[in-house]
Amino acid sequence: MSEVNMPRLSDTMQEGTIAHWLKKPGDPVKKGDILAEVETDKATMELQAYDSGVLEQILVQEGETVPIGQAVAIIGSGTGVQKQAQPAAEKAGRAAEEEAPTSRAGRDGQRQEQAAQQTASPTGDTGSSAPLSTPPASAPRERAEAEAGGDGRSIKASPLARRMAEEHHIDLAQLRGTGPGGRIVRDDIEDFLEQKPAASAPAATPPPAAAPTVASQVSIPEDAEAHPISRMQAAIARRLTESKQTIPHFYVSSEVDMTDALAMRQTFNASAGEDGVKVSVNDLIVKACALALEKFPECNGSFKDGQFIQYKHINVGIAVDVPAGLVVPVIRDANIKGVRSIAREAKALIEKARANKLSQTDLEGGTFSVSNLGMMDVTDFIAVINPPQAAILAIASTRKRFVPIDGQPVIRDLMSMTMSADHRILYGATVARFLQEVKRLLQNPFNLLG
Amino acid sequence: MMADITYRQALHDVLREELLRDENVFLLGEEIGNFEGSYKITAGLLKEFGPKRVVDTPICENGFVGMATGAAMLGLRPIVEIMTINFIVLAMDEIVNHAAKIYAMFGGQCPVPLVIRTPGGGGQQLSATHSQNLEVWFAHVPGLKVVAPSTPADAKGMMRSAVRDNNPVIFLENLALYNTKGEAPADDYVVPFGKAKVSKEGADLTVISYSRMAAVALDVARRLEKENQLSVEVVDLRSLRPLDHETILNSVKKTNRAIIFEEDWRSYGIGAEIAAILQEYAFDYLDAPIKRVASLEVPLPYSKPLEIAALTGAKQLLETINELAPRRRRGVQR
Repeated sequence: MSEVNMPRLSDTMQEGTIAHWLKKPGDPVKKGDILAEVETDKATMELQAYDSGVLEQILVQEGETVPIGQAVAIIGSGTGVQKQAQPAAEKAGRAAEEEAPTSRAGRDGQRQEQAAQQTASPTGDTGSSAPLSTPPASAPRERAEAEAGGDGRSIKASPLARRMAEEHHIDLAQLRGTGPGGRIVRDDIEDFLEQKPAASAPAATPPPAAAPTVASQVSIPEDAEAHPISRMQAAIARRLTESKQTIPHFYVSSEVDMTDALAMRQTFNASAGEDGVKVSVNDLIVKACALALEKFPECNGSFKDGQFIQYKHINVGIAVDVPAGLVVPVIRDANIKGVRSIAREAKALIEKARANKLSQTDLEGGTFSVSNLGMMDVTDFIAVINPPQAAILAIASTRKRFVPIDGQPVIRDLMSMTMSADHRILYGATVARFLQEVKRLLQNPFNLLG
Repeated sequence: MMADITYRQALHDVLREELLRDENVFLLGEEIGNFEGSYKITAGLLKEFGPKRVVDTPICENGFVGMATGAAMLGLRPIVEIMTINFIVLAMDEIVNHAAKIYAMFGGQCPVPLVIRTPGGGGQQLSATHSQNLEVWFAHVPGLKVVAPSTPADAKGMMRSAVRDNNPVIFLENLALYNTKGEAPADDYVVPFGKAKVSKEGADLTVISYSRMAAVALDVARRLEKENQLSVEVVDLRSLRPLDHETILNSVKKTNRAIIFEEDWRSYGIGAEIAAILQEYAFDYLDAPIKRVASLEVPLPYSKPLEIAALTGAKQLLETINELAPRRRRGVQR
């Protein structure tokens, strides 16, 4: 018999929600079968079986959220099939009430800090996707004993964790294990040791953003109704609150004559043939931004821990609207890809996004973003920076306008764009020059095919 | 200035140097003379040293290993080439019951300075009977020394130690290592037996390996450090018997997590031995179960896709590293 645990599906994942069970108790499973879909703060991913046998018991119901490492199901020989699932939600809810709110806030802040430190990686963007809220840890003693079958001495802990606990006089029953099967490991002891001094010095650093995270108990007017938000929506809420509250945004706008670009696109697509992928205006913009980023690498960076991190790869995120919110899949190395490759990738990513099938890899590593509302007849708009990136370019609709050329009014296709930039590392003149380059490339569109 | 040379060249050079240095040294094996060796390690040596020093034998492993054992007992220093380790089974009696035992059974009166060089390893589509890793059979036997260097420099230094050792040494090579390159000093250095090497320092977990897989592990560890800052320490055992406990224990006491990465089959393998040592002497330092990454337990198929599927490699190692890596990373400078 073996436990199926909530896997860690991304670097920053701390907990996951079971979206759907694809198997039910009594179903035979083979190693590699997909047991369930798991919603994390970034994407919906698959939970695979690592053992073969019979799914004997489901411990976590659809819609319930549990920390990584916690058992969500049991696979066995089939003798212990239990149709009735354990009421895990009830247990978790009760536990959450028991946890003191102060210690929770303290820990949250600390974890975010920790996550931010872990993201000095040149390609990662994961820093800001620190956990939404601490997983609801049960009242420690009760939980540890429940897991240990009422006997406090048989708590699962690694030999090293036991030795460290002994050295630091820590009662292992106070800890929640995040190792496989809920085993207490070195990480958990170190988390605990760091958390202790923080608790005794309250209000040292308040959490950076009071993001609208947990559904509150606040009463709502009678003529309104409250809807729970998805994990993705909660993550968006938190990240964007943090972005707008901690990043000093500034904005620079410019107008691009797209007449030639549109003409080129038409010719280009006419030659694509029946099955060829059509290049969109947005694909051209992505390519133009990528080339401009090559020239202005300052815009391809992050402000982190008082340092300016400049990325070597140019990975452009494209904002895609999906029914439950917004996702930003990434086109990697867009500067060295042809526009047709970009078009093909963008199309695939958008289809995956709409089908809620984006993987972690599709979403991470972005170094710059483009948000395009051009198809929705907008005059102008301003986007919020997608942290930890330094800038985002908002693209409005292209409209026919009279433009004076040699003293004569001529009808041209004009598109307006606005860049939001992080003033801690970018300055007006740099951004203006960057926009000039984007404009130059789009107005001389054959540069994009080079 | 050190030059980059292939593992093949390193072996060739060191054999030649040992032939020049000591007239009691001689080579014997199948097709090592006129044909210059199936893997060309002995290229040019027959021409240079003549048929008394470079002896072509018939296809009779038990015969010529027995002959070499006798020659060693009488004071010569034979270096036997067994074309691949798969053919060594024919000479098991000579190796295990004679060469390995004589020194002890005759009260230390008669040393047996015999070296048996032989490559193991799969991946060349040579199928089940020509792709095995049988070193563990010999590492099990007291009276033998078994070494398995992974770099040209270690191959040279350990071959010198092997030739100059007064009792039998199984010197394991690997088909896929012959063309790999590395720096190797030109001077007359030796690499002692029983000393593992930390080929890359790391903080998050330890990969223990030897022979070709040690080279693969080093490559994976360097890539991981560059790409996602996971800091993997790589220990290259180099010598399977005697086995350096101190280096592996120190490494795992530091990182608390260990993977043994070996090309042979998993059951009863080198990994099983290392895991046993770790749990016995470093129990209180372990933060996770010790993992073994080894090849599938099947006779190796000939079909290329099946061969790839059966053999272990970088992919399998990466998967296990990702599974075992701690949540908090120590390799990252905070």
